[in-house]
Amino acid sequence: MNGQSMDNQKQKNNGEDCPICFQNVSFIINSNQIINNISVRIDRKGITGIIGPSGSGKSTFLRLLNRLISATTGRISLDEKSYDTIPVRELRKRIGLVQQRPYLFAKTVEDNLTYGPRIWGVSLSKIDLIELLDKVALPHEFLDRDVENLSGGEQQRVSVARSLANNPDILLLDEPTSALDIVSEEILENTIRNLSQEGIKIIIVTHSLEQTKRLTDQLLFLKDGKFIEKTSTKEFFHKYNEKEIRGFFKKKESR
Amino acid sequence: MSLAPETEITEMLFRILFSILLLTLIVLLSYWQNINLEKVFTWSFVRGFIQILLMASILIVIFELRDLLILYGVLLFMCVFAAYTAKNRFPYPNIFKLELVAITTASIFVMVIVTTPILTIDSTPISIIEREGTYIIPMGGMVIANVMVMTTIVLERLIADIKKSKGTIEAALSLGDSSWNSVKPILKESFRAGLLPTTNRVAVLGIVTIPGLMSGMIIGGVNPVIAAIYQVIIFLMILSAGFIGEIMIGFLFIKELFTSEDQLKISWFNPK
Repeated sequence: MNGQSMDNQKQKNNGEDCPICFQNVSFIINSNQIINNISVRIDRKGITGIIGPSGSGKSTFLRLLNRLISATTGRISLDEKSYDTIPVRELRKRIGLVQQRPYLFAKTVEDNLTYGPRIWGVSLSKIDLIELLDKVALPHEFLDRDVENLSGGEQQRVSVARSLANNPDILLLDEPTSALDIVSEEILENTIRNLSQEGIKIIIVTHSLEQTKRLTDQLLFLKDGKFIEKTSTKEFFHKYNEKEIRGFFKKKESR
Repeated sequence: MSLAPETEITEMLFRILFSILLLTLIVLLSYWQNINLEKVFTWSFVRGFIQILLMASILIVIFELRDLLILYGVLLFMCVFAAYTAKNRFPYPNIFKLELVAITTASIFVMVIVTTPILTIDSTPISIIEREGTYIIPMGGMVIANVMVMTTIVLERLIADIKKSKGTIEAALSLGDSSWNSVKPILKESFRAGLLPTTNRVAVLGIVTIPGLMSGMIIGGVNPVIAAIYQVIIFLMILSAGFIGEIMIGFLFIKELFTSEDQLKISWFNPK
């Protein structure tokens, strides 16, 4: 199964378009193999979900994509350009990352939204800022709010808007709703859906079976740092029954 | 200068014996309060006492020398020792190298400045401090010791704060920010943390404390006003060398902690 998908991979790389591609990528830290020889092609459109048990390397996969870490071996490419030929900071601007926790900067919401563009010497107008708030369904008067006084859900939405301020082509989300209440989760999922419709590629790590069903178009199923399966969400839920799928989401036994 | 006369030595022997009573008191207090530092206290005093006695005997020889190169050689040795001591506080790789570069560069730079003649009065070259072992060695030693303490504070603060703000630093990086920018606020705070204790000591100068160098000179029979001026000079030397050392250790450390691709080396915090 793995060998076969790798062969497909090679064929696709020969000339054909490869929007986001991993070729034999491994990531090893302190002699722990977190990502184990992954080869995969991810579409440039739609919402791709990354699922799998805890410790299967999902977050590491996103960090590799944002290049917060570099692959130990193998090659990652974006639009057929190898990662090591793209200036790292430019790449990060194009591929935004929303972490599991918001990690906002001091002090106001506006400070956070303007942070990214300021790196590139761009200043945002009031209209730009309000547009960003609209995208994450936050009231306009939030601009001057101290981020410390926001709820967890509001903070996470600010963190999404902060990434969007960079105008990314691709947005990576690492379990963005895992710490949120149902209402905030719904708002954020709507935001994500809208972004995808606007043409931003979404890659989301999720722990929730329901969220996977609601949100994603394709699925990558990771286990022990390997891809077990790459399929459309529909197919996935067709192929396996509820009980089997719940098993996939179960925490991995501790080493 | 030569060894002290015999009667003075006997007197001093009694003095040190009696002062050991104070060490006993410290150890007892530590035992009573369960601080668990009895061994550390005893060992560091014994070690420190032997070291400083050796140093004193060497000084007797060195003070005879007027060769600046040898004096600077002695300072260099002190820098190596200071860097080694600083390193032991951190269970991380390459700290010795960073501390050695920072302490040596900062201290020697300032020592060169203060011993370079600026003008001549009656054909005698005048520099900020006298170009003699009796000045260069103790004052240099004070500078080096203080740079060591200040750089250690900066490192401690940096490591703690970067560990604490790892998420925020990576948030900045993930937006495309440079590693340097992502830690700028943390770096600034650590510089302040390193500088403030010395700055406070300067602020209370003369009112709350008569600091070491001035006391020493007064005990040695120097006019208090001259001693006071030297005290101000030594503080300026400490602060300038300390500041340079802090900036150097900060820069070197950040360089050590990030890859050339603006990635935080997380594994650095978990050395094998």
